[in-house]
Amino acid sequence: MSNGIKLESPLFYFQSSFNKSTSADELFNAEAECGLVVKEAPLSAHLILRGDSNDIAFCAAVAETLGVVLPLKSCTYHQEGNTSIYWLGPSEWLVIESAGQAQIIEAALRKALKGHIAIVDVSGGQTCINLRGVGVATVLKKSTVYDFEAWDLATSNAGRAVQTTFAKASAVISNRSDGSYDLVIRRSFVDYIAQWLLDAGEEFGCRIEQG
Amino acid sequence: MSQNRLESHSGVAIDFTFNGKAYQGIAGDTLASALLANGVNVVGRSFKYARPRGIFGHGAEEPNAIVQLGSGAGTIPNLKATQVELYQGLQASSVNGWPSVNFDVMGLIGAFGRLMPPGFYYKTFMYPKKLWMTYEHFIRKAAGLGATPVEADPDCYDKLNQHCDVLVVGAGPAGLVAAREAARTGARVIIADEQSQFGGTLLASKQQVDGIAAPLWVASLVAELMAYSNIQMLPRSTVFGYYDHNFLTILERRTDHLGLISTRGARQRLQRVRAAQVVLATGAFERPLVFAHNDIPGVMLASSVSTYVNRYGVAPGNKLVVFTTNDNAYQTALDWQRIGREVVAVVDTRSNPCGDTVAAVKAMGIEVIAGHGLIEAQGSKRVKRALVAPINEAGTQVTGAVRRLACDLIACSGGWSPAVHLSSHTGAKPEWDASIVGFRPGDSKQQERSAGASRGTFDLMGCLSEGASAGAQAAMLSGYGDGNLQFPAIAVDEYSEQPQQALFLVPHTKTTSRAPSQFVDFQLDVSASGIELAVREGFESVEHVKRYTALGFGTDQGKLGNINGMAILANALDQSIAETGTTIFRPSYTPTTFGAIAGRDVNNLFDPERYTAVHRWHVEQGAQFEDVGQWKRPWYFPKQGETMQQAVDREGLAVRNSVGILDASTLGKIDIQGPDAAEFITRMYTNSYLKLAPGKCRYGVMLKEDGMIFDDGVCACLGDNHYLMFTTTGGAAGVLAWLELWQQTEWPELQVYFTSVTDHWTTATVTGPNARKVIAKVCSDIDLSSDTFSFMDWRDGTVSGVKARVFRISFTGELSYEVNVPAHYGRHIWEALIAAGEEFNITPYGTETMHILRAEKGFIIVGQDTDGSMTPADMNMDWVVGKNKAFSFIGRRSLQRSDTVRSNRKQLVGLKPLNDKEVLPEGAQVVFDAKQKIPMAMQGHVTSSYYSASLGHSIALAVVKGGHKRLGQVVYCPLADGRSIASEIVSSVFYDPKGERHHV
Repeated sequence: MSNGIKLESPLFYFQSSFNKSTSADELFNAEAECGLVVKEAPLSAHLILRGDSNDIAFCAAVAETLGVVLPLKSCTYHQEGNTSIYWLGPSEWLVIESAGQAQIIEAALRKALKGHIAIVDVSGGQTCINLRGVGVATVLKKSTVYDFEAWDLATSNAGRAVQTTFAKASAVISNRSDGSYDLVIRRSFVDYIAQWLLDAGEEFGCRIEQG
Repeated sequence: MSQNRLESHSGVAIDFTFNGKAYQGIAGDTLASALLANGVNVVGRSFKYARPRGIFGHGAEEPNAIVQLGSGAGTIPNLKATQVELYQGLQASSVNGWPSVNFDVMGLIGAFGRLMPPGFYYKTFMYPKKLWMTYEHFIRKAAGLGATPVEADPDCYDKLNQHCDVLVVGAGPAGLVAAREAARTGARVIIADEQSQFGGTLLASKQQVDGIAAPLWVASLVAELMAYSNIQMLPRSTVFGYYDHNFLTILERRTDHLGLISTRGARQRLQRVRAAQVVLATGAFERPLVFAHNDIPGVMLASSVSTYVNRYGVAPGNKLVVFTTNDNAYQTALDWQRIGREVVAVVDTRSNPCGDTVAAVKAMGIEVIAGHGLIEAQGSKRVKRALVAPINEAGTQVTGAVRRLACDLIACSGGWSPAVHLSSHTGAKPEWDASIVGFRPGDSKQQERSAGASRGTFDLMGCLSEGASAGAQAAMLSGYGDGNLQFPAIAVDEYSEQPQQALFLVPHTKTTSRAPSQFVDFQLDVSASGIELAVREGFESVEHVKRYTALGFGTDQGKLGNINGMAILANALDQSIAETGTTIFRPSYTPTTFGAIAGRDVNNLFDPERYTAVHRWHVEQGAQFEDVGQWKRPWYFPKQGETMQQAVDREGLAVRNSVGILDASTLGKIDIQGPDAAEFITRMYTNSYLKLAPGKCRYGVMLKEDGMIFDDGVCACLGDNHYLMFTTTGGAAGVLAWLELWQQTEWPELQVYFTSVTDHWTTATVTGPNARKVIAKVCSDIDLSSDTFSFMDWRDGTVSGVKARVFRISFTGELSYEVNVPAHYGRHIWEALIAAGEEFNITPYGTETMHILRAEKGFIIVGQDTDGSMTPADMNMDWVVGKNKAFSFIGRRSLQRSDTVRSNRKQLVGLKPLNDKEVLPEGAQVVFDAKQKIPMAMQGHVTSSYYSASLGHSIALAVVKGGHKRLGQVVYCPLADGRSIASEIVSSVFYDPKGERHHV
């Protein structure tokens, strides 16, 4: 952004103070790919959408406005281009638009949707981090009680997503078609989660990559 | 080569020390096998009589060889030498036996053993009661249960959450084939075994399986299993608990076998497994025979002698006497003969043993003494001879002359007890089965089945076929395969066996009470006569006898002695074993380290620290922090050399006289939308929001159904059907859950959605007489004049280039603007406000100053001035309760209860100490008469107390019975140091009582 306005992502300070890999001996000084690489996505628009999934007009208007079909199956997400919609509950979704502005998306949705709905901009309150590497499956087992092995693999425009506990915080965890996982986490818990990940990933070598 | 190591067995040498003396073992040894190889006889002393004790078993059942590893921070107490894998440099010592296991002063007390009957501690140390702590200290020291490290544990432990279709517990013959059948179907399988190698009893077996030696067959099967991608194999992993919903816990020892302190990764890992189906193939424990002085070093379990010989290449003696009630133990005689050592005789309690193994032993020319009992072992620190005598068929009486057999090793076997522990954890009650002379697992309470020896099936063929069926069935029930076996039956050598004799107490020429001690529980010195004495003293229930005698209380948890003990109890009570029953087994199966239970939830990861977007700025400014819920909030911002009091005085005066700034981002914020939002909010708060217009805010109090204050905050109308609710910092999650609860369960017809936006906003509160001037410098698109933007209004605008929402809410009583921006802009906006305020000496302040400023105004803090038993009226806040609401609000009816309307409830008042520099301690009790005798009539307590720099004297808020009518009275706060502070009851609003300062 211009005119000297400084934007800081939730992981901003953590990245600058932990800009090196932690870890397991052989990876510590090496160039080798770490077993766990954590990377924060660029700041994006995050909105919570509430509405009646039995209302055909509502579902159609969302699809029309966002260009993504509203996922109605529990614990799934749909993605088209820069826009993803995650199912969070029977009447609740998370919309993430990596290239858009929340106010514009909110305005477009408000114009298109009728009846009892809610749209809330939560962009400032959360961030999306990606976990990749051979250690990810084990790190997830250390951090959550959810069974991720039972999930079908993700495709480029659909996958699974679950809102669950992550260590002692919460996260929306989804699988990506490249085998990595995305975590949407709350801003205030980010430092705790980053420390947890560095610790959990240490046995594989862990690195927090600049977003 | 160590004295007892067989020449056929070799390996890499490993140096270790035991009780300070250097020894050498070889790779693959346990500490126990290495000690036996070195001819170490005495490894510990018993609990009560301090009798010398030697290694008795070879696994989790071992009662005697309890050791402490290492020293300092990494020391580990109470390990069984039979389960410790030897590593280079291992240092072990006995946990009991001071000053040395070979000369124990407590052993002298053992000579007076008869003076220490069961219940001895209860009887002797009961009175006087106050000395119990002293006695306990002495008893514990005397018993020597190891030393706990005093430093922090240097090791790392972690946890893993696992899910599988089939969990197989135990990798003996039954477990291995169960895992193979299940893995073949594609089911996710986990197989865990407490030993370092899979194979269980087959590792020490001389039987042929599928035409090859048993250990080789195991190796090929393990290799086959490893090829499956859907199986996880966990050696050195003890399944120690079986809980509801097929949740099991495994302690995986990852580096214990490498040395004392792990250099990399977790030393131990707690695996928390949620399994669809479970196969319990936990095997069985051999039962010792209870005869006189059966605890002398050199008496061992028959299977243990065979295991040391066959698996570890260690012969723990020279001249062996086998004492048995069954055919199985004859194998030990064959094993001993094969290595070329002398088998003196096999003593069999049965009158006519004639199974295949018996015949094989006789064919070797070994003497079989049938119809006899080994009634007593003799020797001090090592067995020297066995006394053998004919006994009657029932095994209750000696019927003839005693014969003496010189020997240095007695291998005994009273049959096998299925390891029903895990099945018992599920609530299944073990059932006595006379045909196997043991308890079988009871009917399944969960999705589990037992197979093999743990189910009472002791022959190898039976174990293999049961294991295979259990694996296939478990897989099918979890949705894989059709339940049919995938692999052909396995051929094994079969022996015909004769029935065993049920014998739990070997008779002696003297009565049980007169005979030398016949030990049932070695670790705690519980003898047969002790159990009989307990019965004579009136104990009948097995659970009571257990506690009175301490039977099964040691670290082996009765794995060895329980069945014999219960059988002896049953006999003394003249009832059957089935009627007597067994004690209940509970987790942990074997002792589990606290480190593993804690996992990574330690130090900085113990509890999340939540930071606001401005946190780093506060850190850079040297703020001191306070924990508020999980949040780290700046407490105060000391300047160089300032005390806390000086800092808060300065911060408070800055707000009152110029301008201050507070990071209020942690306040809970809930976005509320929907056509019924106003109605819903009005039902939750005591006052009404139906007529609150967009652009306006209102303060409200929430009650629980009992009419007591639960949270408070401001709610703003953002637009049609759209509100923003502020909650207390600590109450945010609770309030959101409360709203959802009422909407979802009581008023689903109300159309309203709630979303937490706490983390989305950074909130900077700019407050003080100069606040408007500061805001004016960074915001040009909001008309800040008090006529258009007045107290309790909010406006959207642009602050320092960022779209912001500004509220005129005040918690200080001064002119205030709360500037909210999305948190990514948090630090930017904060620094812009600091820069704009520079000319007014804008002063950042923390929670302490915030508390003082609000107390000066008499504003309550929910949870500090209230404690869940305060109504709005108690807080002198009747004005916030809407009297004319069409629909009720939560808690309304409770406000009319006789107790909530009585006049002498504790009510919020101000206290002004007569000595105006004296600060009352928060929590101090209030009394009306300082000279009253104790117990005094307590009339209330101080809830908040500070020194107020603005007022120049100390102030306090307190709740006092009938306080609202006591203005002007003097009350007293008696302190622990004997002083009593006198204060005058005053209005709770100390500063600007008319509220002129924030209405500007």
